[in-house]
Amino acid sequence: MPRSLQGRLLLLVLGLVAGVWLATATLTWFDVRHELDELLDSHLAQAAALLVVQQAADIDDDHRGVDAPTLHRYAPKVAFQVFHEGRLAQRSSNAPAEPMLEFTGRAADGFKTIVIGGMTWRVFATHGSERDVRVFVGEQVESRNSILWAVLRSSLGPMLFALPLLALAAWWAVRRGVAPLLLVSRALAQRSPQALQPIAVKGAPSEMTPMLDALNGLFERIAELLESERRFTADAAHELRTPIAAIRAQAQVALGAAADAERLHALQATLQGCDRAARLVEQLLTLSRLESGVEHALVAVDLATLARQVVADAAPVALSKQQVIEVNATEPCTVRGDATLLSVMIRNLVDNAIRYSPSGASVKLAVSNEQGVVQLALDDSGPGMSSADMDRIGERFFRVVGSGQDGSGLGWSITRRIAAVHRAVVRVARSRSLGGLAVEVDFPAERVA
Amino acid sequence: MRILLAEDDPLLGDGLRAGLRQLGFLVDWVRDGDAAERELRAQPYAAAVLDLGLPLKDGMDVLASVRRAGITLPVLVLTARDAIPDRVRGLDVGADDYVVKPIDLNELAARLRALVRRAHGQPQERLSVQDVTLDPAARSVMQAGVPVTLSAREFDLLHALMLNAGRVLSREQLEQHLYSWGQEVESNAIEVHVHHLRRKLGNALIQTVRGVGYTLASDLPKAR
Repeated sequence: MPRSLQGRLLLLVLGLVAGVWLATATLTWFDVRHELDELLDSHLAQAAALLVVQQAADIDDDHRGVDAPTLHRYAPKVAFQVFHEGRLAQRSSNAPAEPMLEFTGRAADGFKTIVIGGMTWRVFATHGSERDVRVFVGEQVESRNSILWAVLRSSLGPMLFALPLLALAAWWAVRRGVAPLLLVSRALAQRSPQALQPIAVKGAPSEMTPMLDALNGLFERIAELLESERRFTADAAHELRTPIAAIRAQAQVALGAAADAERLHALQATLQGCDRAARLVEQLLTLSRLESGVEHALVAVDLATLARQVVADAAPVALSKQQVIEVNATEPCTVRGDATLLSVMIRNLVDNAIRYSPSGASVKLAVSNEQGVVQLALDDSGPGMSSADMDRIGERFFRVVGSGQDGSGLGWSITRRIAAVHRAVVRVARSRSLGGLAVEVDFPAERVA
Repeated sequence: MRILLAEDDPLLGDGLRAGLRQLGFLVDWVRDGDAAERELRAQPYAAAVLDLGLPLKDGMDVLASVRRAGITLPVLVLTARDAIPDRVRGLDVGADDYVVKPIDLNELAARLRALVRRAHGQPQERLSVQDVTLDPAARSVMQAGVPVTLSAREFDLLHALMLNAGRVLSREQLEQHLYSWGQEVESNAIEVHVHHLRRKLGNALIQTVRGVGYTLASDLPKAR
């Protein structure tokens, strides 16, 4: 099978046409030959009958052996013999003197195909009502074949001429039929790799619409992906400029400092700037991995254990700010998730609470399991957040102003993305227990396997 | 030269302030757009360094609103936004220079000096009045080809007077040029500095306009 659709169609159509034509020709062959045999056999029989009747009427020994005249161009192909009492009474000029068939009584009557002198003859034998008259009428089979050929030529011959024309027509029709396909493929081939605008579906054949729709859907998704990638790169470069500018300025200040105290301050600020840039890069990478659409393998994870670990890690920072941090996660709360991502999420939430709450504040993390719905709840007694800020939180690089903290605004984006990966719902509200910010993360109910 | 720095990033703001101070600027640092606008309206800064992504009020809005208020001081926009439309918009709204972070402190200082110079109609880096020449970049002063040693305050005072040669500056204006926030200004500080300058450069240069302030005689051509 050719790989081109056009070639396949052409091959199938022409193959089928040729096959059907051949079958028709074969059937016609058999049919015509049968009809022809019937017709000519009946003529032979009729001629034989006439000879018998005539012989019975006037058997004239004088005419014995007399040749009958040739009356038609077809006549030489037909021969007859009339025997009377075993002797040849009459014959056509082209008939041999010897009997065409043996005298073997009644059984010899009827049609028989024999070879005489290298020629194939169809012979009809019969006898008069009295036993002494015997008639043979023969016809050359070759002549029958030539009639058959003539009939077939005239009926099937035009088809033979029509076949190449038909092939040409089929080629043209197929080409026209697949033209929309070629048009689309040409349009696709000529597209620049950056072009992601949809292909026009209007006017396309209905068979192609699903394919075009799917293709356009793909283009759209790729465009979205590229756009998000582009935005991300731009945002990331943009956000890295400020820490780098800070590092540069501080390093330059350290170089130009006249006093040791000034130099020390600038160098410490330089280090701080490096740490901040490094954290920003790390967050950007995390976010980039989260947004790349990679499937995360979700396994059974005990959220309570993770929460305890994160709080244990974060406790020194909280204690250095004289904050009270506690975790309430005693019973195991299993969710389907990615342990690393969930750790990042909980750490982000806890870090934020510690960072944005003043010294002496309280931070409380709780993990609970209510009929299969696992909830992570973080409360703090910090300044909380205005409802306008609560709406905007999670936008990339959105920062609450006036917080006095140099956060990147990425922590929340990461938290929201991780929650989305786990199909968990994040809610932000005013803390009822501590008065600051309350963050609740509800995980979907575990399906009982 | 007293400038306003509007930058919300603590580390960068701190670094820029320290660096510009090393290079002889008096720097007032604000961290949000509202404060930036308030200070620009209230104080006669020689120039301003304005970040665009400021909290409370975007730097672009601050710029537009002070320009609407008729404040013409040179403004250098220092930002992470490097897209051409941002640059165009910044300059159209009224920025005199548009610089993308990060920037070398020396370059920033040079750009600020150039902006201030041009704002005062001085095409050249060096300022000259009579036989006195002042080089803002080197922070050096020459009189008739001889170097004169001045204190930082004396230099700043002379710089302000030379930039505004031919105009009378009041004592309050000069104080605002010379002192940034939190610096204690003694009641007769300007008189003391003028006295020192006259002793070092001669009495003919700085003239007192009684009841108004001080001015430099502009009868001789300035930088030419």
